[in-house]
Amino acid sequence: MTTEATLAAPKKGLELGMMKNTLLALLIDTFLWGYVALVSYKIIYEKIILALRYPEFSWGQPVYALVIGAIITLPLFFTKCSIGRATRGLYELDENKPIFKEAFTIFGVFIILLTFVAGLLISQVSVREFLSDSGLAGARRIFVSLFQPNLKILDQAIFAAVETIYMAFIATAIALPFAFILGFFAARNLMEGSRIGMMIYTVNRFFLNLTRSIEPLVWAIIFSVWVGIGPFAGMLALMIHSISSLAKLYSEQIENISNGPIEAITATGAHPIQVIWYGVVPQIVLPYLSFTIYRWDINVRMATVIGLVGGGGIGTMLMQYQGLAKWNEVGLLVIVIASVVWIMDYGSSKIRAAIK
Amino acid sequence: MLEVTDLQKVYPNGTHALKGVTFSVEKGEFLVIIGLSGSGKSTMLRCLNRLHDPTSGSVKFNDIEVTTLRGQKIRNVRSDIGMIFQHFNLIPRKSVLTNVLSGSLGRQGIWKSVLGIWPEEEKQKAYEYINIVGLEGREHHRADNLSGGQQQRVAIARALMQNPKILLADEPVASLDPATSHSVMEYLKKVNEKLGVTIICNLHFLSLVREYASRVIALKGGKLIYEGDPSEIDQEWFERIYGEEAKEVTIN
Ligand SMILES: Nc1ncnc2c1ncn2[C@@H]1O[C@H](COP(=O)(O)OP(=O)(O)OP(=O)(O)O)[C@@H](O)[C@H]1O
Ligand SMILES: [Mg+2]
Repeated sequence: MTTEATLAAPKKGLELGMMKNTLLALLIDTFLWGYVALVSYKIIYEKIILALRYPEFSWGQPVYALVIGAIITLPLFFTKCSIGRATRGLYELDENKPIFKEAFTIFGVFIILLTFVAGLLISQVSVREFLSDSGLAGARRIFVSLFQPNLKILDQAIFAAVETIYMAFIATAIALPFAFILGFFAARNLMEGSRIGMMIYTVNRFFLNLTRSIEPLVWAIIFSVWVGIGPFAGMLALMIHSISSLAKLYSEQIENISNGPIEAITATGAHPIQVIWYGVVPQIVLPYLSFTIYRWDINVRMATVIGLVGGGGIGTMLMQYQGLAKWNEVGLLVIVIASVVWIMDYGSSKIRAAIK
Repeated sequence: MLEVTDLQKVYPNGTHALKGVTFSVEKGEFLVIIGLSGSGKSTMLRCLNRLHDPTSGSVKFNDIEVTTLRGQKIRNVRSDIGMIFQHFNLIPRKSVLTNVLSGSLGRQGIWKSVLGIWPEEEKQKAYEYINIVGLEGREHHRADNLSGGQQQRVAIARALMQNPKILLADEPVASLDPATSHSVMEYLKKVNEKLGVTIICNLHFLSLVREYASRVIALKGGKLIYEGDPSEIDQEWFERIYGEEAKEVTIN
């Protein structure tokens, strides 16, 4: 009786797994065929046959496409061209037949090609415009001025660049302690001991992901309304983004540390704070330092971009001269920015290599 | 001094690692736990100082019930029980001295120790124990740059820093060569005999067991199947503990 029961249980689980896989495979196939139908319709019919420049979109189209996808899937699901069944491991593959000769591989390649063509059409790639006479002349004018930088504003430019570097540094420095503490609360291995721990972990992760997924540029716009246009808004934008990025990196580092020293320090009867200080921190200081320096480096680059929307520093300066079409000045600024980025990049990689 | 009664441990993933183990340990013993890989030896040791929480059963240390303690009380018990590990588990990038001093964390103020301020007499003691394990002159070397045998000796010194009444050793020589294994075991013997520290030690090699143990218990599939004198483990018992196919490998 008991043996029967134990034998039946895994078999049932297996069947359930099979059903789940088949269902998933069907869904994948329906989606892929629907995609093919939709893209073919939009590219072949609307773009090429009707030659519409901006084809209209309605929510009915993807729904129809999915229905068509389902209709195509039903007969083809049991042939060899079901990608769904291939990816869910439901085919028994002939080992001697090379995989790229299988029908589903060919279908997969076809989908990628279709996507490529669609991409070309959507980005409106036009060799004619790229090589047109008036276009080339305009580009040449700008390039020539760029290569004749106006050295008169060099000191101004360097001053603005220094402002940018300091802004990035302050943003990183202020973000550091916050990220340091949040990093511990976002590390699964430290938090999963208790229910409260897991709750803090989940909420913390959610907010970190949320703030990180909003671009610093968007934060800069928000803060420039909040505190006014200028370096302070830019700094705040960088800081928010740095906190969440650093906390994420830190917590991943914590998740990768070895448990041994933690066990050993716990076994001495140490307080949890001591366990973290002696068991966790020595394993993470160097990677932390290296992440932080790298972050500063990234922040200098981002600060330049943020300057473009009025976050202060050299980016704002670039924006102003660009608006006035003063290409010689823009040329100088581009050179200054490139040098700063290059120096920061070189310096930070050297430092990071040294502390490995 | 230690009484374990009907100890059970079920891991969250459902593994039933200990299925009702009962034994006791007297002061001054050198108790060795043997058994196949996965028989529950490491789990056993970790339940004694509550690195793992046993599922049921009781562990009494000097008549204190350990399994239900929390917070400062369990930390006090832990500080009376030293522990060393197969992979030494020293603090990376820190000096031998700091590693040994970390054994005294249980009785240091939290913030002082976080700032790295150690009382002078603790430092003296640390130097003394580093001497005892034969590492004088290496106090300021990085611990993770030492050889395996030396690292295990640092770990012993760290455990001694606790003034332990019991020393738990989880396969202390499993990652060492035969000669180094013997030297580390000799240090444990010295700790046992000269300092009077009770030792509970997981071992794999029966030759080491016969040489160092004063008593042996054997686990199989989470159950205690043998308890007795090391010299009494004959071929029959050996096969019962390790399975019929097993052959004894010696280390000398
Ligand atoms: N953290 C854990 N979570 C889940 N199961 C575990 C955990 N640690 C150990 N186990 C399981 O518990 C059982 C006993 O493991 P344990 O490490 O105590 O054995 P052992 O006798 O020390 O073996 P070895 O000689 O290999 O060290 C094994 O089946 C193991 O897979
Ligand atoms: Mg073990």
